[in-house]
Amino acid sequence: MSEKNNIDQKKDRIDHIENVLASVAAGDIDARINSDIEDDLSGIEAAIDLLIDDLTDELKQREKMQKEVEDKLVKIQEQQKVIFQQQSDLLELSSPVSKVWDNVLILPVIGTLDSQRTQVMMENLLEKIVETGCTIAILDITGVPTVDTQVANHLLKTVTSARLLGAECIISGISPAIAQTIVHLGIDLSSIKTKATLQDAMIYAMKQNKRSENVKLQSLFTDYDKREE
Amino acid sequence: MLQLTSDNNWKKLGEHHVNSEHDIVSVRQLIRYYAKEMNMGIIDQTRITTAVSELLRNMYNYGGGGEVHVETGLVDEKQTLIVTCIDEGPGIEDLELAMSDGYTSGKGMGYGLPGAKRLVDRFEIKSERNKGTTVRIMKWK
Amino acid sequence: MNNEMHEKRIPIIKIGNFLIVSIQVDMHDKLAIQLQSQILEEIEKTGAKGVLIDISVLEMVDSFIGRMLSGMASMAAIMDAAVVIVGMQPAVAITLVELGLEMPGVDTALNMEKGMEMLERRLEEEDYEL
Ligand SMILES: Nc1ncnc2c1ncn2[C@@H]1O[C@H](COP(=O)(O)OP(=O)(O)OP(=O)(O)O)[C@@H](O)[C@H]1O
Ligand SMILES: [Mg+2]
Repeated sequence: MSEKNNIDQKKDRIDHIENVLASVAAGDIDARINSDIEDDLSGIEAAIDLLIDDLTDELKQREKMQKEVEDKLVKIQEQQKVIFQQQSDLLELSSPVSKVWDNVLILPVIGTLDSQRTQVMMENLLEKIVETGCTIAILDITGVPTVDTQVANHLLKTVTSARLLGAECIISGISPAIAQTIVHLGIDLSSIKTKATLQDAMIYAMKQNKRSENVKLQSLFTDYDKREE
Repeated sequence: MLQLTSDNNWKKLGEHHVNSEHDIVSVRQLIRYYAKEMNMGIIDQTRITTAVSELLRNMYNYGGGGEVHVETGLVDEKQTLIVTCIDEGPGIEDLELAMSDGYTSGKGMGYGLPGAKRLVDRFEIKSERNKGTTVRIMKWK
Repeated sequence: MNNEMHEKRIPIIKIGNFLIVSIQVDMHDKLAIQLQSQILEEIEKTGAKGVLIDISVLEMVDSFIGRMLSGMASMAAIMDAAVVIVGMQPAVAITLVELGLEMPGVDTALNMEKGMEMLERRLEEEDYEL
């Protein structure tokens, strides 16, 4: 082999190395030098191949990791959705309306009231009034630390809407702090029935019940009297 | 002059004329239908239908009738029903006054405009003397 | 057009001392006004002491219909008849309140039975006072 040929061949091989490196850099991670000639250059060629192996391994690793992270993110987002759903379920659960006795519904409210929760509560209460035919509803806010203008207005709206349906809504358990806030905010609650405690509200409801019962009895008596005559 | 919010990506659902009391009834029923189609809750359906009924009656009583455009699309990233009532009537001289509770130039109660505003998520009004009045209201799910 | 309005005439039924009106259609304004006069005429004709207006199928009450209903109550009261609005849907009630129509002074009942009881109670109380 002439010296010139030898140099040309080496030049080609170096070109090949350059090409392979360029390919790898461009993203073709399967490109290798794969030389089968044994001489002083082959050591370098093998070393470069090894280097590329390492590099691509790392690249693959990173891609795998990225995919895992993305998968996790999707999972977390799904979990968040579930949590969000649970929260809105809880929102409804946390305002349980129950019929305590004939004709009377009680809605005990516990915790901080925000505008959204008050809105959901209002809708539940009104639906329940129609469903049960109860004409008295007690909204007990003993467990509510504070109210703001919006919440107070929602409460007011609940009472007024209930009246339009044909039911009386009483608010009980207004704490001194809430009473102060309501007056300071200039909200007029004079048109609605408020009672200091849940007990007071229940006694009031009972009396109201009795009152209508009495009238019913009265009319029975008059019917009876008429028959007697 | 105030510009109404608009977006080329909104989808047009319908255009309706309002020239009689019957039109008021049939258009407000259509609005209910569109709101239902969007899966709006029953209370929000009722709110937008009622607000539109108020605007249609104003349009018929004061604006000599007009047109209603119904669109749907994203507003503040929320799926929204957009209803625009357009008349070419006398316009409203004092918008602030007209928007206040209890003001009526006729024998209404003056709750139409301010009430409609309370019932929707966004309320835009534009009026020019002798040119007409346009009210655009939006309600999202 | 006149014909159409006639077709949609809302029936008024008399039971005992009371009139019962069940509104089954989405009323246009003229129909609402017509119903108002119709009921007042019927009160005069029959001497009814109370009117039950069932709106349980109404999906919407705007300021016009709201005004007609509360006006109805005041007018009937002057004629010595009590009006009870029966069966308003929750969504309608909330919307009316937000609109600004709280209808003060209008009596309401959850259903026909309760409305009837209410009117009867009213009559009894009057008898009792005498
Ligand atoms: N499209 C319109 N063109 C001209 N004027 C209007 C128009 N809409 C409203 N107005 C004016 O604004 C006033 C207030 O309107 P609004 O709907 O609040 O009350 P109203 O129609 O008078 O009474 P209500 O709606 O309670 O029956 C009207 O009395 C009228 O003068
Ligand atoms: Mg109006």
